[in-house]
Amino acid sequence: MTHVFHLPDIGEGLEEAEIVEWLVAIGDVVVRDQPLVEVLTDKASSELPSPVAGKVLSLGADEGARLRVGEVLIEIDDGTADVSAGQATSHVDDPADAPPSAARLPAVAPPIGGSRPKAAPATRRLALELGVDLAAITGTGPGSRITADDVQRATTPGTTPSPEAGTTASADDTSPRTESRLGQMSPGRHVLRGVRGVVARNMVQAWTEIPHIHTMDELDASLLMDFRERIRAMDRPGAAHVTPLAIAAVAAARALRRFPVVNGHVEGHPGDAIVILDEVHLGIATATERGLVVPVVRHADTLDLFAMASRIASLAAAARAGDLTAADLSGATFTITNYGSLGGRFATPIIPPGQGAILGLGAVVERPVAVDGEVVARPTLPLVLGADHRLIDGDLAETFRRAVVDDLTEPLHLLVGG
Amino acid sequence: MTRPSDDQLRAILVDMVEARIQSGRLWNLQRQGQVGTMAPIDGHEAVVAATAHALDPAHDWILPQYREPLALQRFGPEVLEQYMLYNVGHPDGSRLPPTVRVAPLQISLATQIPHAVGLAWGMTLRNESGVATVFFGDGSSSEGDFHEAANLAGVLQAPVILLCVNNQWAISTPLHQQTAAATLADRAVGYGIHGHRIDGNDAAEVFDAVDEARRRALDGGGPTLIEAVVYRLGAHTTADDPTRYIPAEDLEAARRADPVARLADHLTGLGLWDDETRTAVEAEAMTRIDEAFERAISQPLAVDAVFDHCFATDTPRMARQRAAVLEAAGRDPGGGP
Amino acid sequence: MTGTSELTMLQAINEALHGEMDSDERVVVLGEDIGHVGGVFRATEGLFEKFGGTRVVDTPLSEGAIVGSAVGLAMAGLVPVAEIQFLGFSYQAMHQIAGQMARLRYRSQGRFEPAITVRAPFGGGVRTPELHSDSIEGQLANVSGLKVVTPATAADAKGLLAASIRDPDPVMFLEPLRGYRGIRGEVPDGDHVVPLGSARAARDGDDLVIVAWSYQVELACRVADALAAEGLSIAVLDLRSLVPLDIEAIASAVDRCGRAVVVEEASQTGGFAGEVVATMVEECFWSLEAPVVRVSGFDVPYPVGMLEDTFVPDEARIAAAVRRTLETA
Repeated sequence: MTHVFHLPDIGEGLEEAEIVEWLVAIGDVVVRDQPLVEVLTDKASSELPSPVAGKVLSLGADEGARLRVGEVLIEIDDGTADVSAGQATSHVDDPADAPPSAARLPAVAPPIGGSRPKAAPATRRLALELGVDLAAITGTGPGSRITADDVQRATTPGTTPSPEAGTTASADDTSPRTESRLGQMSPGRHVLRGVRGVVARNMVQAWTEIPHIHTMDELDASLLMDFRERIRAMDRPGAAHVTPLAIAAVAAARALRRFPVVNGHVEGHPGDAIVILDEVHLGIATATERGLVVPVVRHADTLDLFAMASRIASLAAAARAGDLTAADLSGATFTITNYGSLGGRFATPIIPPGQGAILGLGAVVERPVAVDGEVVARPTLPLVLGADHRLIDGDLAETFRRAVVDDLTEPLHLLVGG
Repeated sequence: MTRPSDDQLRAILVDMVEARIQSGRLWNLQRQGQVGTMAPIDGHEAVVAATAHALDPAHDWILPQYREPLALQRFGPEVLEQYMLYNVGHPDGSRLPPTVRVAPLQISLATQIPHAVGLAWGMTLRNESGVATVFFGDGSSSEGDFHEAANLAGVLQAPVILLCVNNQWAISTPLHQQTAAATLADRAVGYGIHGHRIDGNDAAEVFDAVDEARRRALDGGGPTLIEAVVYRLGAHTTADDPTRYIPAEDLEAARRADPVARLADHLTGLGLWDDETRTAVEAEAMTRIDEAFERAISQPLAVDAVFDHCFATDTPRMARQRAAVLEAAGRDPGGGP
Repeated sequence: MTGTSELTMLQAINEALHGEMDSDERVVVLGEDIGHVGGVFRATEGLFEKFGGTRVVDTPLSEGAIVGSAVGLAMAGLVPVAEIQFLGFSYQAMHQIAGQMARLRYRSQGRFEPAITVRAPFGGGVRTPELHSDSIEGQLANVSGLKVVTPATAADAKGLLAASIRDPDPVMFLEPLRGYRGIRGEVPDGDHVVPLGSARAARDGDDLVIVAWSYQVELACRVADALAAEGLSIAVLDLRSLVPLDIEAIASAVDRCGRAVVVEEASQTGGFAGEVVATMVEECFWSLEAPVVRVSGFDVPYPVGMLEDTFVPDEARIAAAVRRTLETA
C-alpha cells in the first residue's frame, strides 16, 4: 500500500518549508523514523523522519523547492496489501466523534411569557407614529409577535374627522384641513404610501373583514340642548367643556356597561374568537394636521359628565399639539366619531379593526317633527350605530342604539344610573 | 546518606533508557505531524528517574513541569498513557487516575510550585505521611511563583522538595543571563530553608539527595531546595533550533557527560548491563509507546466533551451551549445518540 | 424553625465562616492578617481562637502563593477559604486565579475537585486608597471555570458564603466594603444556605426593573421606594450570582415590566452590566418598550477620594435613569 506523507506543520503555524537536501532516493528501502529529508523553515532546519518502513516510490519536490504544508512530501510503499478502507495518511483526520467545526447558537428562545404585547423596538416606534395601540392588535408574527404589517393594518381607518371637541352643532368649519388644500392633488399618478397608504390598507382590512351593519336614527335633541345650556351656565370647573359629544360619550359608556357584547370584538378572519373586555375605553376620533388620531378616554364608564368632558377636551388639545403618548392612543374598545362638525348628518362609519362597533354623530339641525299629532320645529340629532354583524345582530344593535337615543333624548336618565 | 543499591541503579537505568528512546519516538511523531509540540528529555533522564525511585509512589506526590513524564513511569503505567493522550491533544491527557500521584503537566512555568507547597501542607493537615516533589527549571526559578512559594514553604515548614533542574538554558537564555546569583541553591538561604546543589547527571547522587530531603521533610524538618545541575542535550522543544545559540563545543562536552551513557558504563563495569540488554529494553519501550500511541489516537471523544468538567454541573448558559453543539452535530440534546 | 438575629453583613460573614469550619473539618482559612487579628475588617474574628493555627493560617504577604497554595490544598482534598485583603490586590494573583484555580477541574478532567473559595472585599464609597475599591467582577465572570458571587444583604452574605464554601467549584466571593457595617438585617440562626445561581426579587414592581448586585441593590431599593411614593411601580432584581447567572429571573422580570435599568459600580466598558443587557436582548427583545440603560462607573480607573462621588453611581443617577427609561415612548 502506498503511504502518502504530506508535509506536516512542524513549527506551530508553519505554512511552508524549503527542501534543503533529500537524504534518500527513489527506490531506497527505508526503516521507520529514518531521516528522509532536511527542510528549512523560518524557525529552524529540521530532519523529517519516515513514518513507515518501506520502499520510496516518489519524492514530492526537488531540492531547493518550497512545499506548502499539506502538500505531498514523499510516497512510500510500505509493503502491506491495499486496504479498501482507505490509506493511512499522516494523522490529520479527526476521530470519528470530532466536535463540529461550527456550533450554531440556539435559535432565539420563544418569548418566555408575560402579558405585555410583544413587538420589536422598531415596530413599537412605527405604532407610536401611526397612533396604533399594540394591546389591541393580535400579532401574526412568530410567538404571536406584532409585526410592522400588523401595525399598518391596524391603523384606524379614516372616519370623517371631528374638529376640536368643544363644538359640534356649530356650522363653523374648524377642521384643520384648510379649504384651500382640501381635495387638492396635482394631475398624474401618485404612489399610495405613507399615512395615506396606511389608511388605505386599514380601510380595506376593516371593510373586507368586518361585515358591517348600520342602524340609524334621528332623535329629538331639544332636551339635550337645553340640558347642555343649563350645565354650561353653571359655575363649575369643566362646565364649559360639556358638549353633546361629551354627553353622548357618557351615554355610550353606560350602554356599553349594560351590553358588554357591544364592547367586545371578534378576533381573526373570518373569525376565531369573540373577546369581551371588562373595561370600557372610548376612542374619540379627532382630526389633526397630521391626520386622524383617535385618543382614548380610559375607563370611560367611571367618569361623570364633567370628568368626561374635561378629559375629551384635554385629549383634543394634546392631539392638536402633537403631545399624545402611546398610552393615550391605545386600548379603545369602542369609538365615537362626530362628523356633525363638518355638517354631515347620516353616514356609514367604518369600525376600527379590533373593535366591534362605532357610534357616529351628525350635526344638530332643526327639523319638522311630529309631536302629539302636530308638526313642530325641533333640533334633531342624527345618530348611527355601525356594528360587526358577526358579533352583534339586529336586535342587539337596535336595543343598544335605542338605549343611547333614550339617554340623549332625556339626559336626566344619566342621573339615575342603570 | 543513602546510596541506591545496585538493583535500584539498574532499575533507574532501565527507566532512563526507556525515557530516551520514547522521547526520540515522540520527537519523530511530531515531525510526522502526529503529535503537537513536545519537549525532549535528553539530558534530564537521571535527575528525573532517580528522583522517582527515591520517592514512594504510594504516598508521595510529584508535580512535573512538562519535560519529565517519560522518566516518571515508576509511578504507574498510566503515566505513559496519559502523556500520549496529552500529546495527541485529548482532554484525558491530564486526567491521571486516583491511584497515581502525579499532577497534570504545567505549561505555565512555575505555577505548580505553590501548588506543591499547598499539597504538602494539605497532606500534613490530613495527617497523611508523604512529601510533594515539584520539578521546575532554572528559568522558572526567576518567576514570582517560585519565590512566593519557597517563602511560604519555609514559613509553613511544609514537607516539600523544590527540585530545580538547572539545565543551563531557558530556551536561548543562558544561566548567567537568568540570574546574577552564584548558584540557584543559594536562594534557599533567603527563604530560611535547606538548599543543596548536586550533579544532576549522577543518578546515585540524585537518589541520595532526594532521599535525604524526603526524610527531612517527613521528620518535620521542612522543605529542601535541590539544584540539580544537568545540561539540556536536545532542543527546548520541537519548535526550537538550539544550533542558533548553543556553542557546538559546549554541546559536545555535555554529550560526553551524557547521564545515560555514564550510568550504563558504570553498570556495565559491574556486570549488570550490556548492549544486548539495552537493545531489549529499547525494543520493549518502543513497543509500549507505539501501543500507547495507537490507544491514544483511538480514544473516544464525545462531541460535547469540550463542556465536560469545567464545573461539576453546567450553568444554565453552558447547558444551552452544550445543547447547541449537540444539535449542530445531529445529536439529541436530551442526551440520546 | 430557627430564629433570626439582626446582624451586620460582616457579622453574618463571620457566622458563616464559624459554621462551615465547625461542620466540615476539611475547611481551612488562610490569608493575610486573618488569624491572630481576625482580619483587617474582623471578618475572620474568633476563628483562630476556636480552631487553632493549623486550620486558620496567617500567610506571608503573597497573593500568588495564597491562591496557589489553596490550589494545592484542594488537590490534597481540603476545602480552602482564602482571603484576598482587597479585590484590587487579586491582580497579583490573577495567573493563579485564572490560569490555575479556574482550570484545575477542567485540566484534570475531574481528577481534582477545586472546592476553593476566595473572599475579597470590593467596591467604594468609603474613601479607600488606590486599588482598594476596584470592581472587577466583569473580568472575573469572563474566566470560564470561576463562579462569581456577591451578596447584597446580611442574610444572603451568610447563606451565599456557606453555599460557596460547600460548592465543589472555585468561587470568587465578593463582599461589598460599604456593606460590611452599612448593611444590617435579620439573619437566620444556625445552618443557612442560599443556593448559587438564583437571583432575588428585592422589590416587586410592574413598570420597570432595576437589575443590580452588591451594594447597588441597596441604592436601587431606596430609589424604588422613593419613586413608589409617586405611584411608580419599580422592581429591583438582586442577581446575587453573576456566574452562574439566573437567566430565567432576568427574563421574567423584563417580560413583566418591559423596561429595565442595570446598575453596576464597575467601569462601563466590558463590565458585567453589558452581559446582563445582552441576556435581556436575547431573551426579551419582543417585550422591550424602551432601550435598556446601564448606570455604571465611568471608563476611568477608580479615582481619588475627591472624585469618588462623581464616579460611583448614586441614587440620583439611578433615579434619573429610571425616569428617562419610563418616559421613553
